[in-house]
Amino acid sequence: MRLDKIGVVGAGTMGRGLAEAIASQGMDVLLNDRDPDQLNAAREAIEISLQKRQEKWAITEAEKRIILGRISYLDSLTPMAQADLVIETIIEDLDQKKEVFAALDRICKPDAILATNTSTLSITELAAVTQRPGQVLGLHFMNPVPTSRLVEVVRGLKTSEKTVAIAADLVAAMGKEWVEVYETPGFVSTRLVLTLCNEAMYALMEGVATAEGIDKAMRLGYGMPRGPLETADRMGLDTILLAMERLFREYGDSKFRPCPLLRKLVRAGHLGAKTGQGFFRYNRDGERIPDSHTSQGQEEGMQR
Amino acid sequence: MSAKTPAEAMKVFVLNCGSSSVKYQLFDMGDESVLAKGRVERIGTDEALVVHQATGRDAVHATGTILEHTAAIQRVLALLTSPEHGVIRHVSEIGAVGHRVLHGGEYFSGSVLVTPEVKQAIRACFDLGPLHNPANLAGIEAAENLIPGVPQVATFDTGFHSTMPRYAYLYALPYVLYRRYHVRRYGFHGTSHRYVSERAAALMGRPPAELKLISCHLGNGASVAAVQGGASVDTSMGFTPLEGLVMGTRSGDLDPAVLPYVMAKEELGLAEISSMLNKHSGLLGVSGVSGDMRDIEEEMEKGNPRARDAFLMFTYRLRKYIGAYAAAMDGVDAILFTGGIGENSWRVREEVCQHLNYLGVQIDPDLNRNGQKEKDIATPSSRVRVWVIPTNEELVIARDARDIVLKEKEKAGA
Repeated sequence: MRLDKIGVVGAGTMGRGLAEAIASQGMDVLLNDRDPDQLNAAREAIEISLQKRQEKWAITEAEKRIILGRISYLDSLTPMAQADLVIETIIEDLDQKKEVFAALDRICKPDAILATNTSTLSITELAAVTQRPGQVLGLHFMNPVPTSRLVEVVRGLKTSEKTVAIAADLVAAMGKEWVEVYETPGFVSTRLVLTLCNEAMYALMEGVATAEGIDKAMRLGYGMPRGPLETADRMGLDTILLAMERLFREYGDSKFRPCPLLRKLVRAGHLGAKTGQGFFRYNRDGERIPDSHTSQGQEEGMQR
Repeated sequence: MSAKTPAEAMKVFVLNCGSSSVKYQLFDMGDESVLAKGRVERIGTDEALVVHQATGRDAVHATGTILEHTAAIQRVLALLTSPEHGVIRHVSEIGAVGHRVLHGGEYFSGSVLVTPEVKQAIRACFDLGPLHNPANLAGIEAAENLIPGVPQVATFDTGFHSTMPRYAYLYALPYVLYRRYHVRRYGFHGTSHRYVSERAAALMGRPPAELKLISCHLGNGASVAAVQGGASVDTSMGFTPLEGLVMGTRSGDLDPAVLPYVMAKEELGLAEISSMLNKHSGLLGVSGVSGDMRDIEEEMEKGNPRARDAFLMFTYRLRKYIGAYAAAMDGVDAILFTGGIGENSWRVREEVCQHLNYLGVQIDPDLNRNGQKEKDIATPSSRVRVWVIPTNEELVIARDARDIVLKEKEKAGA
């Protein structure tokens, strides 16, 4: 099966990243969002991202124009009829995702594959609202999509071998590696990274070490590009809290209970890099502001 | 020239398949004339472009959906045999197909008849020529399917340089890297260097065996080769086409220590640094204007200092290589210019040659600026001849294909 046109539903951070990454590899992208403002913002963000890549010599001016020309911005789902494979990236809300999958099932051609970028929801449950459960699977991309190297290819109960093989072709065409995982809450990467971040927060709350100390230990000790607390800041503390609560509910295991410090920061509106404040401070470009010794999380953690 | 036998007068179809393009020429080897030529671009899209021209007739342009090489070559064969634009009645008139293949690794020293083993070797070189070799092989397999029973011959861009001595092709790296990964100098543009050096010997009326030639192929990519006794003994491109001269958008030679330094300072990954060296450097990188020498010369005339820098860096680097290769061969009988810049830029030739007095090079400025396409621009008293020779890689590929096919037929007949 040829993968010429790829649909992306939802023009948020993930949708934009996917559109850019797929178009960069020579495929046409249909990027959909029902909110026209969100589409305009996506167009601008993709242009800025490609401009930055050009300034870093990764692409040429001509390549940039070709990539931009491959992305169509659509506020209707109807054109998804042309897509060979559609990836849904809207918010992590089961009802809204079900609605999208039911609509795509009506619109898309019979052999098209429907994928979701969910990190915690049930593929099987989404597949159940379609007439093609064998052609539904999870494709869990990591943020930022253009530079991250891994995709989790997630099998629901009825996902067919052929569907997995075609999805793997797409991942390979995007120049990324993949691991096959079976549907469970959090799959592999989310489950493990959430648990690590959550445990790092407990360590901070208990005063085991400073935030900088905890992150440095894991960065240098285990060769991680970022420590767990900065990772949490970048994923968004509200996102982390929601996901932890879902894991806790699904597994009913106390090892997934969200750290009280996390809840406190979220209630204070300190959501991480996107609000400029989480366990560390960030400027408007999302870069760490040095001298994070007075960060909120730090103070909260140490005053017991 | 003696009359050609019908076998020698065979028609040869020459193919140069890129990742999204196919260029072709159909030769009548009776008089080595081109019956038709053309190209297909943007393969893999709904807007593929076909340009076909039968010699002496108007060019045909068409666009449409062409998704892969087989479809592209099928389209070309249809044009070649069509009543309206065609030059042959049936594809069975084609006696041989010659393919340009980028990388032959250490497997091939010359052109070869395509066999399953040859295809396997071309595949084994995918790592070394990741952009070109897969497309070259796709072209071979497409032609095998579309023109069944017609022999296919592969001519390698690296082939002519296979005669380099070990001390010229090894890099001074841990030897195990050569053993494990075949990291060494291969050189490129071999077919062009071979054509112009053979042509120069013929024009000079001397046997190649007694000549020391320095061949400068100056196009968008550029390389120099030292050709002694008809064989390449050194060349400026190396493991990849990035080494050597300053090129349109490629850096050429560089202190390797620059790379980790710049990567750390600018936080670049491997893909970015590779793109920087191949697409954002060279004439374009230095001038900030263009990677095309014609634009550089125009800007330089207007007084743009960075265009002047780019021009002088280009010619200075080339001059150093010419000096080095004269030393490598202990002398030089002729310097040869070819490729888009080598054939057309009198300024580049003048700037390079006017500082080679110590070698005994003297050019006639008028001859250099005016006159025919193929010419000797050295003064009568110059100790070293300086030739401008338009290259013709397709003709070399066609000749090799014919010769190999005839030899095979002889073997089969004997």
